Amino acid sequence: MAFTDHSDIYGAVHEDGINRVVRHIMRQRPSLFNYATQIFAQRPDLFCEKIDVAAEVIQAQNPIFTVEKPLPVLGTPTPVGLNFCVQLTDFQIDFHPANTIQLPPELSPLAQQRLALRIRACVGMDCPSDSVIADILPRMEVLATAEDKPLFGTNMLATGGLVATRALAASDVRASRGLVRGDIFLPPTGGVLDPGRGTDDGIIVLPTRQINCFCLELFAVAHFEWGTIGSSPQQWLKTRLDGIEIVDLQPTPMEDMIECYLKLVLRLGVLPRLSIKLEKMVLDITKIIRDQGIAFGDEVTIEPAPVPAGVPHNPAIENDLVKVFANLIVRSA
Amino acid sequence: MAHLTVAVSEGTFQKSVDALVRNLSFEKADQTSFGAFTAGYDVKAHLEGGTVDLRADNTIQLKELDLRWDRLKFILGIDIPEICVGGGCIDLPWPLPDLCLPRVCIFSDDPDISIEPDLAAFVAQEVSFTGSLLAQYHVSTTPGESNKWQIFIDPQTIDVDLFDFPDIVGNLIEDALTDLITALIPGGPVRDLIIAIIGGVSDLIRDILDIPDDIQEWLSDLFNVSFGLLDFIGTLILDYFASENPIYEFDDPFQIMEASNGLIPVRIPIRNLDVHVTDVEMVVQADVGA
Repeated sequence: MAFTDHSDIYGAVHEDGINRVVRHIMRQRPSLFNYATQIFAQRPDLFCEKIDVAAEVIQAQNPIFTVEKPLPVLGTPTPVGLNFCVQLTDFQIDFHPANTIQLPPELSPLAQQRLALRIRACVGMDCPSDSVIADILPRMEVLATAEDKPLFGTNMLATGGLVATRALAASDVRASRGLVRGDIFLPPTGGVLDPGRGTDDGIIVLPTRQINCFCLELFAVAHFEWGTIGSSPQQWLKTRLDGIEIVDLQPTPMEDMIECYLKLVLRLGVLPRLSIKLEKMVLDITKIIRDQGIAFGDEVTIEPAPVPAGVPHNPAIENDLVKVFANLIVRSA
Repeated sequence: MAHLTVAVSEGTFQKSVDALVRNLSFEKADQTSFGAFTAGYDVKAHLEGGTVDLRADNTIQLKELDLRWDRLKFILGIDIPEICVGGGCIDLPWPLPDLCLPRVCIFSDDPDISIEPDLAAFVAQEVSFTGSLLAQYHVSTTPGESNKWQIFIDPQTIDVDLFDFPDIVGNLIEDALTDLITALIPGGPVRDLIIAIIGGVSDLIRDILDIPDDIQEWLSDLFNVSFGLLDFIGTLILDYFASENPIYEFDDPFQIMEASNGLIPVRIPIRNLDVHVTDVEMVVQADVGA
């Protein structure tokens, strides 16, 4: 049986190939998979898992993670933040039949024409010691009880008094500790506060000795479908999410809430970026013709083979492959 | 199982050739001096027909691709050596006046005659080609340049018809030249004198053009060899398939994400590229390197 029995052009990618491609992306663009506060630049040992990067990334001095603002401590009279990191440490895809990913009961068995995803994520957050808190507490008390300060922290309220508060906090802390910029990244013996380097918009970042980490496994089931984007008739291969499950997360309402949020992230944020134009996926026909110096009057396009008249499924997910079937359409000018 | 597989049906190749045939045309003109005469051409052609056959022996055959001439204008200018007759005087005794013959010169222009017949209706070329697909890995020796995977068509047989003009074309050209030269020669006794000098118009044409045998063979030789027009067609069609010219190539490692904001591009190594044809399709397979 030929690959092109039911279409002009056939393309297929094996799950092992996709998993290797993802691995290359993770090693060459680690900043897409690792998010952390600035301190991790000086203290990469704080990451929950060591980041495996390609040598080219080091040579080019590319960042190995995306810098995020510190996690705010709610209710403080001046903005205080905690160092944290989020790492996607593993990504695996398994096209039907499921034979490399063991899906949780909520998602199994993997239905026909579906793919399974396993994403391992680790989250780390600083938990300041009592001595750090004891060091900063007197100043927080001063700020919190000052007569011209609002009842709750300025980072929770309107920014009317924010500038004054920040200025006060910065000068107050420097004066009290006698420290200079840069100290925040050194392993502290006590509270080390500096709103300059290591802070973001005047946020006081609490000093970090170690990060508490936990890792979770996220499982998802998805499928592919063809569709247009915007008003263009161009066909794109889109990934659609069918279900998601985080293992061993309790209580259930919290799990549901987090899963709901992650579904939104995937559906609205990640998957739309993974849409692939049909010509790009098979061969850029127009480019090949143009590269040969041939001026073409005809319009040459590739269109998905019709379902079910042409093929039973398009794209098809079967035998550990994603398969696309397309026809070459030449329209005379 | 290969990580990546792309297959293209025989019918798709046929569609592609049909589209090429509809879209590809070319024009060319040139002129060369051969001493006593100048010859040139002004041509325009397009493709017709052509069938693609994928074969089980891992070859692709392109058959009966016709090159049709929309314009095949043959330009010929002949500069015949000037011939003058008469002009002398005979001294007669007084009181008789001297007897002077009028001087008549012909073939004084350069060229004296020129013709531009359009031979498009009489000629057609046909191209047939057989080749196999070949995937090769090119290791770059230039610093900073990536290695490449290249797909070639390795030609096995190439058949291009020569320019072959029928007798009727030779006669047409010879008659036109004869008529033009004859028209330049004045009538009366001078004509007989000039014909006697040149030994006949037909012989004059053959001498000037250095035609060894049939004029149509001479004409074919002009187009096939002297004009280099056959080489041009070869360059246009055959070099496309030549082993020096890959029909498709891509860098290894292959870029899948562009560099942005100072971040390096993301590239994946491609391994085990294989291209082969069966009797119904062409299959390209490759693996993603570790």
